[in-house]
Amino acid sequence: MSKPAVMRHMPQTAHVDVNCFYASAERAFDPSLEGRPVIVLSNNDGCAVTRSPEAKALGIAMGEPWFKLAPRAKQWGLVALSSNYELYGDISARVMELLGRYSAWLEVYSIDEAFLGVKGTPDELLALGRDMKATVRGNVGVPVCVIIAPTKTLAKLANKWAKNNPGFDGVCHWDSVPAADRESLMRRLSVIEIWGVATRLTKRLNALGIHSILDLSRADPVMIRDRFSVVMMRTVLELQGTPCIPMEEERIGRDQLIFSRSFATPITTAAGIRQVMSVYGQQASARLAKHGLQAKVLTAFAGTSHFNPKDTSYPSVRVPLPMPTADPVILTKAAHALLPRICEGIRYARAGIMVTDLRPSGNQAPLALFENPHEERHVGALLEDITRRYGRGSIGLGHGGIRGGPDWTMKRDMLSPRYTTHWDELPLVKAA
Amino acid sequence: MGVVVGPRVIDAGASLLSVLISPVAVAAGYPSPAQDYFDGRIDLNEHLIKDVTSTYVVRVSGDSMEGAGISDGDELIVNRALEPVDGSVVVAVLDGELTIKRLRITGVGVVLQAENPAYPDIRVPSLSDLVVWGVATRCLHVV
Repeated sequence: MSKPAVMRHMPQTAHVDVNCFYASAERAFDPSLEGRPVIVLSNNDGCAVTRSPEAKALGIAMGEPWFKLAPRAKQWGLVALSSNYELYGDISARVMELLGRYSAWLEVYSIDEAFLGVKGTPDELLALGRDMKATVRGNVGVPVCVIIAPTKTLAKLANKWAKNNPGFDGVCHWDSVPAADRESLMRRLSVIEIWGVATRLTKRLNALGIHSILDLSRADPVMIRDRFSVVMMRTVLELQGTPCIPMEEERIGRDQLIFSRSFATPITTAAGIRQVMSVYGQQASARLAKHGLQAKVLTAFAGTSHFNPKDTSYPSVRVPLPMPTADPVILTKAAHALLPRICEGIRYARAGIMVTDLRPSGNQAPLALFENPHEERHVGALLEDITRRYGRGSIGLGHGGIRGGPDWTMKRDMLSPRYTTHWDELPLVKAA
Repeated sequence: MGVVVGPRVIDAGASLLSVLISPVAVAAGYPSPAQDYFDGRIDLNEHLIKDVTSTYVVRVSGDSMEGAGISDGDELIVNRALEPVDGSVVVAVLDGELTIKRLRITGVGVVLQAENPAYPDIRVPSLSDLVVWGVATRCLHVV
């Protein structure tokens, strides 16, 4: 490629994502799944959330409910697995740590994708991408696709295309792709498919004669800013190759923690929800303490199933906490503020709590007078220690501590071993 | 048989903490003479794991590697980042299963050997015909 010398060393963005992440993580420890159709099911074994290419080839759609697929699974040789979050979380952490060695500039975008800042000539960048791909596959054991482009939006845009185009072999350097091919891709893709453009905006774009991503990339950024927003203008500039969306390296501080599950069997009483809230209050406390954080606001919520359009109820309550805290007693009490809003007899399918406005604990020590008594006695740390030693559910506060009681915990009937996080579930290697 | 080493034997969190926090209580005016010499306790992770991203622990099932000191129920530390060479103990994929063997790379071909005369060698035309999952570096055996 003949490019002006100055262009060649402009920083570029690499978008790296794991192909069919959940299914690939399962295959890494069970080679017998290689080449077979594999799906991973959502919470409570509800529907297919990850499909291996072989499963896609069978015509299985994203989100297809398991009860519809189950009768034909045997005939297809289809392997269905429950979501093994312990495994996926660990594999994700390994992938991200490894990627972090390639760049000081890493943004973990989701459990299976990240952006990295990279620099170099086109040849160097292609070699770097191939090395990342081979190393993640070799060292961690999962396949990735790497797209290197001048901007995040372009890198994300090209991902699906590069993945489905065997010619790239999983690594694509956008600027090295012939201009005609880039244009034809952008012409084929509707503005709906672009990262960050909401469906409702597409109608307004269409009214201006902007239908494809190519149309949008040729629009006047200033006109777009005036008619839409700065956000949309950034998208146009990014499509034109000018980086406008900065890397977000560290999200903690204004992040949130959410604890929410669907229930295996619906809960119909406030007493049942109370128990759920107690468990989540303690989990939130443990997680906050682990990260050295305290929360200022707690939101508790519950909801009926989307599949049950009558008798809907979505109560939610936001509780500002008296002071930043990670105390399990205070968090649990705050979560119980939801209870008066629970309608007895309604079938709640999920509930959860979210803690927000997080800040590092011990940043500003409260006066002893205002320090809450449970924190002083280290109730949270004690609960956590016992839980670690004797297992989840061995001890708890109030209603969260009832062992064997909760029948609402997630259903995971087809769970594979938690290969990398539990000593009694290690992968077996045959010595025979 | 299948003895499980408790998870607390190898505790990833403990080592970091023990470096950061001195184990010696410091009373004002009487600093412990040992304090300056404390650099943290022995850390098994440091000793056993060269790269956390590529290292996995697996459990042995069967007695075909007894001759190499690897018994049924032992835990093996496996590093996927290592290049297998002649003599490596490898976890290889055979018929869709993770299998442990001694790798022999000779002038005439590649052989997967058991370390127990009861099990025959497996011949492979070349290294590229073999999927090596990882190279075993340590065996955790209960004595």
